[in-house]
Amino acid sequence: MLTLTIRDLQKNFGSLRALDRVSLEVQGNSIVGLIGPNGSGKTTLFNVVSGFYEKDGGEIYFKGERIDGLRPDQIVKKGLSRTFQVCKAPEKLTVLENMMLAAKSQIGEDPFSALFRRPRVSMLEKANLDRAMDLLEVLQLVDLRNEYAGDLSGGQKKLLSLGRAFMLDPDLILLDEPTAGVNLTLATQLLKVIRELQKKEGKTFFIIEHSMKVISDICDKVLVLNFGKIMAEGTPEEIRKDEQVLKAYLSGA
Amino acid sequence: MEDPTGAYPGRRGLISYVKLVIPFHFLPHARVDTYSKVLGYYNMDFSQIIANSLVRGAELSLLAIGLTMVFDILKFANFAHADYAVLGAFLVYSLNQVLGLSLFLAVILAAPATALIGICIDTAIFKPLRRKEAKVVTAMVCSLGIGIALRNILRLIWTSRTKTYAIPIQKPIEILGARLTFTQIGIVLTGFISMVIFHLLLHRTKFGKALRAISDNRVLASACAIDSEKVIKWMWFIACCYGVMGGTMIAMEHLLYPRLGFDILIPVFCAAILGGIGNPYGAMLGALTLALAENIVLALDFSYLISLGGLFEVGPIQISTGYKPAISFVILVAVLLFRPTGILGRK
Amino acid sequence: MPVIYFLIYLLTMIGIYSLLAMSLNFQVGFTGLINFGQVAFFCIGAYASSLLVTKAGAPLILGFVGGMALSGLFGYIISIPTKSLKADYWAIATLAGGEVVRLLALNEGWLTEGPFGVMSIPQPLRWLFSKDSYPLFYLFLIAACVLIIYFVLSLLTNSPFGRNLKAIRDEEDLCLSLGKNTRKLKLQAMVVAGMVAGLAGALFAHYITYISPENFKPIETFLMWAMIIVGGRGNHLGAILGAVVIQLFNVSTRFIGGYVPLGSDTMAALRMVIIGLLIVLFLLYAPEGLIRERKKVYHLKRKHIE
Repeated sequence: MLTLTIRDLQKNFGSLRALDRVSLEVQGNSIVGLIGPNGSGKTTLFNVVSGFYEKDGGEIYFKGERIDGLRPDQIVKKGLSRTFQVCKAPEKLTVLENMMLAAKSQIGEDPFSALFRRPRVSMLEKANLDRAMDLLEVLQLVDLRNEYAGDLSGGQKKLLSLGRAFMLDPDLILLDEPTAGVNLTLATQLLKVIRELQKKEGKTFFIIEHSMKVISDICDKVLVLNFGKIMAEGTPEEIRKDEQVLKAYLSGA
Repeated sequence: MEDPTGAYPGRRGLISYVKLVIPFHFLPHARVDTYSKVLGYYNMDFSQIIANSLVRGAELSLLAIGLTMVFDILKFANFAHADYAVLGAFLVYSLNQVLGLSLFLAVILAAPATALIGICIDTAIFKPLRRKEAKVVTAMVCSLGIGIALRNILRLIWTSRTKTYAIPIQKPIEILGARLTFTQIGIVLTGFISMVIFHLLLHRTKFGKALRAISDNRVLASACAIDSEKVIKWMWFIACCYGVMGGTMIAMEHLLYPRLGFDILIPVFCAAILGGIGNPYGAMLGALTLALAENIVLALDFSYLISLGGLFEVGPIQISTGYKPAISFVILVAVLLFRPTGILGRK
Repeated sequence: MPVIYFLIYLLTMIGIYSLLAMSLNFQVGFTGLINFGQVAFFCIGAYASSLLVTKAGAPLILGFVGGMALSGLFGYIISIPTKSLKADYWAIATLAGGEVVRLLALNEGWLTEGPFGVMSIPQPLRWLFSKDSYPLFYLFLIAACVLIIYFVLSLLTNSPFGRNLKAIRDEEDLCLSLGKNTRKLKLQAMVVAGMVAGLAGALFAHYITYISPENFKPIETFLMWAMIIVGGRGNHLGAILGAVVIQLFNVSTRFIGGYVPLGSDTMAALRMVIIGLLIVLFLLYAPEGLIRERKKVYHLKRKHIE
């Protein structure tokens, strides 16, 4: 079962080819890693797929439907969500509010319902609150629930963005460096959660990661991006042995 | 605004019916100047329209250049920019009318004085905001507050009464079918020379190089040992000096009063955005385009359109002068909607 | 006795400006939309209601509803460009939009009576009260409106809708990445804010019974901005407090003006200098305002608080 299919995707910034005819596939119910030297176009790929950048060519399919050209929020509603590399944390929203924000299809988001269907709105809010607290417990953010998200440390913001992604409950989650800045014990914990979600609920993850350890720990498949092109593809073991990839990383560093 | 012929449409509606389109060449020379202010815009005389647009374009571009520079470097829209300019114009007035200096000398003295005030305001208000890394929106709202305060300080010092400079009444001369006073010719020439100087400043001096570097990438520029605070001070200096010139010119052409800054704010923004923020040449082009558009729209006769191409009789139909300020508003909104990068795009 | 009438007038104006400040705060403090043309809502609400009543002969209640509806419609229209414009560009556009509305009121004399303004606007339930007691009744009417609007807006900002608005204000991209239709949310916010300010306009028109374009100069927008900056953004009480402070200052200086040997123009200028400085000083040294935004704390079941 294919979840995400990208064909000949192109994105240019002026004369720079950030994505040069990228084609790739992400299988459903799997964890796929995306690695590559800095500036190879990983985040750009995420931005184009999630609708934040306009593509300059190519096609993107998600669950058989074409999604390129849709707005980011429309793409999310189809079940594809993403996190950001530099974590976005609303300054004046508490951690718990952040989690509540992410819950999908809330009828209270409509001002009319918010005023006139209060019992139903508050019932849904309570259900969401329970789920949010459970997730916060997993992420060890319970004690920080009433802190402003803007006051969190970088690592905590990362955790929160993961929490929001889980709360949103999409089918495919694009994670942009989920463990960068998170301490090792918690990072291991996180990877376990990701693994569990994939196994139990059949979620698919597409992860940008720098740490080869993380990649080989959880990924089923790894894609290597270099100069806007997919240069290698395979299991973590295969990629680790690939000389071309090593060269690219060495020259990049 | 008394109009002896009764042709002035006044405030009669979006489209007013003008019985007479008076070509003012037929009027006695001595009265041309007064008439040209009231009636000139109704005249569908192309050389005159171009001449008028050149004058207004020169005035607006001097103001727009400073605005676009500040917007580009400090990333916020300075709503007080036009008020700085009017402050300078008032200083010029005092030097000119009270101390009796010539206008030229007055501008030379008033421009750096205003620039000094501009730099002081920056040090007192915008610099702390930069240091706190406040949102650009905060700086913008701050500039709005500064504008309000400044406008009313002018009112306190010089009162609300309108002022004029000591310029002798001039007989307009005819150039290629357009009538211009010497003042107007001076405005166009000064505008042109100032633009050339600006170009040289930007491309031939260390300041210009640093400014362009900061505009491209602030972090990288500071890594290259460019003292951005010093460059920002010089930028304010130049923005204010050019603003004072523009403000004085507008006051020469029309009248000087404290609220003038607010009245010209939107056209100046319009010119800057029309040309593309951060692009000084765009600002000039934007100012000229806007001036031309203002003059043409007011001179246009819509009767042909309204009568569906001559299907039935309609008198000449023109847009009421009451809407002159609205023209730049509408152009501004249209540009923002359809081409927010301006006609030239970003650099 | 005149002191009491002055007091009632003062409180009434505070009430009207509280509504306007709450509306602006809803846009700026909650949604992060920088609107420099707020007075346009006020103007449209006032003109629509008074013209519906005086020219079309509609009943007063219809005038009020019409004023709110038209002002809400204007909110809808000016929110359309927010989808493609950055915050500062949009702010410039709203400043322009506000001026266009005033110019329309000034130039479309066939409809608005141009510079002469709309005169003898009827007052609601005027026949029930004597000349002396009517201002007090109107004060109660306005107080009731302020209370209702405060209540409604609080409900909205405490709902998921309000949470989304705050998220747009702080991180719009994040909102998009969570599947929120930010375009629609901004639009809804502008319509709500427009209706509130339109109500304020209608209340104003039927209170002073005479309106002209002079009442709706950009300076009014600046006053409302001073209110939300001084009072504090992101909470409705702050907006009301700001309206109280600024109106007290505004009116009391007018009052003092009679005893100080300064011309009225000088006093007016001095007043605005102080308003401008207040905006700058508060943004620099007390950016949160007098009442800071309240943190939302959820009530949890016992299970979660071990």
